[in-house]
Amino acid sequence: MTGGMVVEVEHVRTRLGGRWVHDGVSFGIPRGQVAALIGGSGTGKTVLLREIVGLERPTEGRIRLFGEDLAAVSQTRLDALRRRFGLLFQDGALFSNLSVAENVAAPVQERLRLSNALMCELVNLKLSLVGLPLEAAYKRPSELSGGMRKRAALARALALEPELLFLDEPTAGLDPIGGRDFDRTLRVLADSLGLTVLLTTHDLDTLYDLTDRVIVLHDGRVIADGHVKDVAQTDHEWIRSYFMSRQAN
Amino acid sequence: MSVSVETSADSPVPARPGQPQSAGLNAMQPYCRLETRGEGTLLHLTGEWVLDRLPELNAALGRLAIDPLRPLTIDGSGLERLDSAAANRLIAHLDGVGIPFPMLSLSGFSPQADTLIHLVAGRRSICTAPPLRRRGMRRALGWHVFKLGRATVSSLAFLGQTGHAVGRLLARPALMRTRELVVQLEMVGVRALPIVVMMSYLIGVVFAYLLGIQVQKFGANVFVVDGVGLAITRELAPLITAVLVAGRSGAAFTAHLGAMKVNQEIDAISVLGLSPWQVLVLPRLIAIVLMLPLLTAIADVAGILGAAQVASWHLGVTPTTFFDRLQEVLPLKTVVFGLIKAPVFALAIGLIACHNGFTVQRDARSVGLNTTATVVHSIVAVILIDAAFAVAYPEIK
Repeated sequence: MTGGMVVEVEHVRTRLGGRWVHDGVSFGIPRGQVAALIGGSGTGKTVLLREIVGLERPTEGRIRLFGEDLAAVSQTRLDALRRRFGLLFQDGALFSNLSVAENVAAPVQERLRLSNALMCELVNLKLSLVGLPLEAAYKRPSELSGGMRKRAALARALALEPELLFLDEPTAGLDPIGGRDFDRTLRVLADSLGLTVLLTTHDLDTLYDLTDRVIVLHDGRVIADGHVKDVAQTDHEWIRSYFMSRQAN
Repeated sequence: MSVSVETSADSPVPARPGQPQSAGLNAMQPYCRLETRGEGTLLHLTGEWVLDRLPELNAALGRLAIDPLRPLTIDGSGLERLDSAAANRLIAHLDGVGIPFPMLSLSGFSPQADTLIHLVAGRRSICTAPPLRRRGMRRALGWHVFKLGRATVSSLAFLGQTGHAVGRLLARPALMRTRELVVQLEMVGVRALPIVVMMSYLIGVVFAYLLGIQVQKFGANVFVVDGVGLAITRELAPLITAVLVAGRSGAAFTAHLGAMKVNQEIDAISVLGLSPWQVLVLPRLIAIVLMLPLLTAIADVAGILGAAQVASWHLGVTPTTFFDRLQEVLPLKTVVFGLIKAPVFALAIGLIACHNGFTVQRDARSVGLNTTATVVHSIVAVILIDAAFAVAYPEIK
């Protein structure tokens, strides 16, 4: 076990639909880092994220979370590990039969008994941390705008005070202003709560605003890994056209 | 000079044994303790201030007697861990006893904890209403009345839209979506055949068996044919088939249209300049109206075959005798009466199912609720329509 690595991906290969989506992907994320996975559509970013949280299994290779091999741990141990991280799904995946406040309270209620006043205080804190107005607390997810739904989902992901946060396309579907706002919120939360963050994104601005490190997936491999400014200089066709698209606008 | 402070006598939680609370000694408590230093008070935090310990932390804070008039300094040098939930509780508690956050001084916190406290203090807001609200009686009543009103209006609108679509289809038969219709004919009719045949056969068996026990008492075995023929063709086969189709196809219509609604596919159809009624509703309605009478006719045959089987095994009525007698006592009128009910049942099931599919809200829960509603409402509708038919045409030859 490597010291200080929260997430370790070692030589992961994944076969999906008759083709190798990942063909030997390796990286490690140390505590406190905000890292982004980028790559074209269909390069398996989301699949990799699902493998790291244990929703799917890689065909070959090893994934470690907090130093524990996901393939070797029992279901109970996996559940215990899962309480230490939060996951923000692409479209929020809020429970549609619960109000926003109940959504945020749900993971806490599963874990410990709190008086109504304490629970209310906790829910309000999480909603304020992600910048949701308190009126939104009583609404159902279907009554919220896309940006607010993302924030509500982030509040739920933060409910159990995770050390590690996974975000799948956090700014997809948000307008540029809302997207930058969300990035700033995430950066502040990551710094002050001491979170380790792994996110997938298509949003170049997110890379510059939010991340410490960018990992580029292409043809099933990591083709570049480093700070966004260094990655942007990499001499590779896909990376060049990816970063060129920003200047073209 | 340092003077220690005891917790106040009216503290809500009694001092635990083993925790000296007497004057002159530091009130040693887990998580936090107070110390008077000069003009001000020093609050020492110790141990793990995390979400999992929140109830104990809250109790520990409640035991402190903090004087809001003295300047308070918080010492975080003994903290092992601090998270946002615990930091928030601390700030909220101090705020509650009359010391707002700007009046506090912090010392000994790690830079990480210091940032966290400032973030929480900057973002936290006053607790408003409890997260779970209950509706009052009057509110609930009003809500239900308005819901009923809205449902009525929306059903009428749906009926009108469907009528309009049927009118347009009659004027221009080329509008018919043949492929969708064929798919639906298969789904509603052909795929339902095995279950319909099996169920009606079994109903025929059970009915003939029970009726047989009765007629045997009178040695009138052959009269089982009269009862079975009438019951199956007039009531049992149409009802069983309609209930099966309501549960099978009705639920499928609502769930399919509902999922399409959630996915905005119905909006996409409208935006393409097509009518969702022509594309989705009419093929389903036509399919169910055409298929239910056919399924009912097959159910008639299967039920009677089941009854004939039992009659020959248990009652000594040979199949030849059975069918000869059936021809004598079962007028075609009765069979036709049973078959005529089927398209009416089908129309009710189809309309209820499609309407419930279109009124799904954009969330997963709503799909389940509406599908349940479809099955319940359409079975109730089928039985009510059946009762109406029975009252309107009571004569049995």
